[in-house]
Amino acid sequence: MILSLSHVAFAFGDFRVLDDVSLDVPPKEIVGLIGPNGAGKSTLFAVTSGFEKPLAGTIMLDGRDITHDGPVARARAGLGRTFQVPREFRHLTVRENLLAAAPNQTGENLLPLFLSPRRVREEERALREKVADLIAFLNLTAVKDTPSGSLSGGQKKLLELGRVLMGDPKVILLDEPFAGVNPVLIDSLVDRIRELNAQGYSFLVIEHNLRALSDLCSTMHVMDRGAMIASGAPSAVLDDPKVQEAYMGGVL
Amino acid sequence: MTAYLIAMAIVALIYMLLTIGLNLQYGYTGLANFGHVGSFAIGAYITALITTNGGFAYVSLPASVLGAALVAWPVALLSKRLRTDYFAIATLAASETLRLAIIEEDWITNGVHGITSIPNMSVALGLDVDPNILILTLLIAANLLAVALITRMVKSPFGRTIEAIRDDEDAVRALGKEPATFKVKVFVIGAGLAGLAGAFYAHYFSYISPEQFLPLITFYVWMAMILGGTGSILGAVAGSLVLVLFLEGSRFVRDILPGVTEVEMASVRLFVVGMALVLLTLLRPQGLMGDFRKR
Repeated sequence: MILSLSHVAFAFGDFRVLDDVSLDVPPKEIVGLIGPNGAGKSTLFAVTSGFEKPLAGTIMLDGRDITHDGPVARARAGLGRTFQVPREFRHLTVRENLLAAAPNQTGENLLPLFLSPRRVREEERALREKVADLIAFLNLTAVKDTPSGSLSGGQKKLLELGRVLMGDPKVILLDEPFAGVNPVLIDSLVDRIRELNAQGYSFLVIEHNLRALSDLCSTMHVMDRGAMIASGAPSAVLDDPKVQEAYMGGVL
Repeated sequence: MTAYLIAMAIVALIYMLLTIGLNLQYGYTGLANFGHVGSFAIGAYITALITTNGGFAYVSLPASVLGAALVAWPVALLSKRLRTDYFAIATLAASETLRLAIIEEDWITNGVHGITSIPNMSVALGLDVDPNILILTLLIAANLLAVALITRMVKSPFGRTIEAIRDDEDAVRALGKEPATFKVKVFVIGAGLAGLAGAFYAHYFSYISPEQFLPLITFYVWMAMILGGTGSILGAVAGSLVLVLFLEGSRFVRDILPGVTEVEMASVRLFVVGMALVLLTLLRPQGLMGDFRKR
């Protein structure tokens, strides 16, 4: 497994948000995670990416126990994530956002910046080429020099995906990649995610757009009130009465 | 008249070093430092103590920079845990604590009486030239160097990352970069510049005391930064010039306001400077040279 959560628990004070949640992301697969609002999906992402500490359970990334690592160490170990509400660096342009996301830049350290400017310059040139390719891949060419704060919701989602890709992660966690994105752009996002998956990237995707998600993923998990209530192939999961009950509140 | 202009230029250039440092800290990195005057005081006291005990400025200038940077280090570490507003309060408290320590530890600082007879720049460097021209020249050189160094820093991968930290720290963390390492460096460098400004200040005024290092100085520097444009190095340069123009220009308000006592005049000047700031932010919210928040 590229990412493996077992028996993860988390609480805000006395309020249990995650209760014995287990989930696996096999290599080169797209795994979906759905559930009604407040089910604990985004909290699960926060715990997985190290922004919150789990009360119990273990988190393994590519065979390594990362349960006790912070968010920085987890990102360095190859865990990339986006946020439900896009967190672009709003005063930086699209291009600068992507450049800033590149890991281990020599020019981020002050001594080499002043002592080996040539090395910094050459690295920067190579990085700019990589970023130019990525901007083309994400269809952001028209806005590459626009401050990212003024992008549309969908463009911000694409930019965040691009930023994560700069780090060449082992697994990518997408938190509602299609929320607030216009239908045309959703198709292009789906298309990009498929393409990346074909290149070997693994994904765990939270999404409310069930149609887009069930097209995309091979396995789907359903959470409700902090617990995993169903897992399996998307069509089977969506037909599960427990899932329909959780989503529709038993009204239908 | 020339002497007056030189004096104003020296004061403006001292503020300029302070403003460039604060702009690196807040304008580029989002570190709300409300205790900038603390680093300024450390630089001034180190220089005063070294040169009144026979030391030369060749030692005291670097010692002031390093001393201010060193003291800023533990304060910078607070930025790991504190968000913007709390960090602002903590730095303000740190600078006030330092000022009280200077008052209390009078065996070394001479307490409220301050340190007198600090040698001027020419004596401190052992050069036989006009001290005011010398300090003016050194201040211009120091500011040019500071502008060059900081410009190189902010227009580099380092600069990109600190601006990213200013915009969203957690997103930087999610990319595998630790914001604290960058913030500590930036804070310490800004403090070093303030320490250098303090050293020049001590040499120029030849007398320093704790009451010269009130939080008001920090807020003057903030005003200079906001006037010039937050997140712009040229803005820091322009802003400190305009600030001193206001501070000094308000002296002449006396001519149009007869019957105001000298004590009342101090308040009137603050009022004039405050009004100028309000008007400028209303008429040109991005500052003279542009502001990252309006970009």
